[in-house]
Amino acid sequence: MIERFKYSLRQNRGFYGALLGLIVLYLLYNSLHPRGFSTAVLIQNANEAVVLAFVAVAQTIPVLIGGLDLSVGAVMTLASCIASVLVTGSPAEMTLGIILSVLAGTMFGLLNGLVVVYGRIQPIIATLATGAIAIGLALFVRPQPGGDIDGDLNWAITNAVFDFAETYGFADDGNAAWLQPIAWIPVPLIILTAVMLLVWVPYRRSVTGRTAYAIGSAEGAAYMSGLPIARAKIMAFTLAGFFAGCAGLYLAIQTSSGNADVVQAGEYTLKSIAAVVIGGTSLLGGVGTAVGSIFGAFIIRIIEFFFRINIGSFSIDPLLQTLFQGVVLLVAVSLGSLRLTRIKNRLDVFR
Amino acid sequence: MKKFTALVAAGIVASATAALAGPEIVDGPGVDPTCFAPWSEDTKFFQWEGREGPFKIAVVNGFVGNTWRIQMVKTAKAFAEDPAIADKISEFRVVSTGTDAPAQLGAIEDFINQGFDAIVTIAVSPEGFDRVIRLADRNDVVLVPFDNVLDTDAVMQVNEDQLTMGRMWAEFTLNELAAKGVTSGKILEVRGLPGNSVDRDRSIGINEVLEASDGDWEIVSVVGNWDDGTTQKVVADAIAVHGEFVAIVGQGGSNGVIQALMDAGHPWVPVAGESENGFRKAIAEYSDEGLKGISIGQSPGLVAIAMKAAISALEGNVMPQLISVPLPVATYEELEDGLNYWSDLPDNFFTVNEFPPCGVNISGPAIMSQSETDN
Repeated sequence: MIERFKYSLRQNRGFYGALLGLIVLYLLYNSLHPRGFSTAVLIQNANEAVVLAFVAVAQTIPVLIGGLDLSVGAVMTLASCIASVLVTGSPAEMTLGIILSVLAGTMFGLLNGLVVVYGRIQPIIATLATGAIAIGLALFVRPQPGGDIDGDLNWAITNAVFDFAETYGFADDGNAAWLQPIAWIPVPLIILTAVMLLVWVPYRRSVTGRTAYAIGSAEGAAYMSGLPIARAKIMAFTLAGFFAGCAGLYLAIQTSSGNADVVQAGEYTLKSIAAVVIGGTSLLGGVGTAVGSIFGAFIIRIIEFFFRINIGSFSIDPLLQTLFQGVVLLVAVSLGSLRLTRIKNRLDVFR
Repeated sequence: MKKFTALVAAGIVASATAALAGPEIVDGPGVDPTCFAPWSEDTKFFQWEGREGPFKIAVVNGFVGNTWRIQMVKTAKAFAEDPAIADKISEFRVVSTGTDAPAQLGAIEDFINQGFDAIVTIAVSPEGFDRVIRLADRNDVVLVPFDNVLDTDAVMQVNEDQLTMGRMWAEFTLNELAAKGVTSGKILEVRGLPGNSVDRDRSIGINEVLEASDGDWEIVSVVGNWDDGTTQKVVADAIAVHGEFVAIVGQGGSNGVIQALMDAGHPWVPVAGESENGFRKAIAEYSDEGLKGISIGQSPGLVAIAMKAAISALEGNVMPQLISVPLPVATYEELEDGLNYWSDLPDNFFTVNEFPPCGVNISGPAIMSQSETDN
């Protein structure tokens, strides 16, 4: 057991580093916050981080095959605009709207995959183009910001389990004894965990999932081994679309509206790449995990949290916050390269 | 036991009322109407329960990176140190979240959770704040969006009347043309960021006045995004295509309008524009040669009024739900160096910051000297 853990530690240094960083930063933030370690703060943090976490997961899979998906932010925006139109009305209609929004993201991901595989275009260029198409569609669906997403749904999804139960009147309005142990958990974290367990874990274990890793490590070898290269690539982009769709859906419910914001889409795409790298995934492909990217996304968010709390005499001018954030990100990413200082032979870098 | 039950019941009732807290809708008139002018006759009035200061106030900005926003942040910091309100503020924080809706919502929620009394914000989107509005009301926090306001009447907001601004620009231009005896010709309209409510309202104001006039005008519209560089390019293009204009009505990027006119050797004509320092410098210099200008601006000083409104609301005063800040207007006849423009300050500085009726008296040089090292 210990041997296995040691092996895992050696193999996933980036991942465990991110996890450790996350824990340290989050404990520090909570201990400095006047209401630290409370459900309210946890809910607020979860809401802020979960969209970025989904986008980071979406970005991870194309990165694993050695590509980059520049359309994740745009697909997220498209899905959120569609959701802002469809997720309204009766519960059945809302459910249909939720499914269609995520499906739209998935279909767009499939399109990306087909363009990359059969169009034989570099992912970074293909998705740059399709991302522009996604934003165009989003603007078409929602030329002005707006939407009419159910207020109860917004409140229930963006709160703790207790409020969810209270809003929809089950488990004794959230007061049932059996619910209490989990009543404090934020719903967004449950959604994120459930989607990861239901989609990422089976994918990771499937032949298609393992092929993605093989492509990232050595595409030629994977091809020679008879692995389904085309299928795995298409699947990677399709799943990226699916997770970006989840992000868009959550964004729409969280803001009860849709906004085809081009700048925001770009910001999410770039932050997703940063989250992937901080989470220990190699941009060269083949190494890493989506769970690490979630931690990476959380770390990016936590750095921003520190601007808001009173850290005594040490506080950062609002005009310098972006600069500070960039420096911290750079340091965080550089930590991943520390092993380069220890290697004996330069060729080891390419191992 | 009975007593205990009663106590618990009272506690529940108390917490239930606390949960439903927030402003009460009351009858006007509000406090200090020369500063906090209600938007229209239909504007509702809010009243929060008065409380003792000093207060904790946060400014949650979205996008940062143009002169206007930077100047807004500096104004907020300068005003927080102004003797008029400094002792009413115990803690003051400013954060910029970028154009990222969840980050901005999270920042607002964080300040609510930290027990801040008021949060002043420029919303990144006119929609999507339902959750934080609900939380702010539950926790009795005064949330004040300004500049880019929300499409809701559930919070107190501060802005300038963009429609009137558009009308005043057009009216001034028509008057100047009438004074010159011009009754027909091409008028160039320079628009702002497409899809934005401010751009829409200003353009409606400009066009309805021009259409209602007797003159025979051909209106040419170009999109300048409120940006000096873009505006300079589109105005230069328009001059190249259309030859000469009798007047130019621009929403922003006014330095670009002036630069394009100079580069093309276009004769000076009446120009309406924003409140950039460079634009006012140019008007002061060339008004004798025909550059009859009017300068009206969306002031970065709005943040100071929003802060003042938040404090006033916390003190329990009756406040209008939508506060209309008077338009800061200066025509070529009123410009005076060192008073409403500064020949020694940069061109892209926004000149209007002072609102004397509100006791907001932070001048341009005071803002530019604001240090960037402490918060």
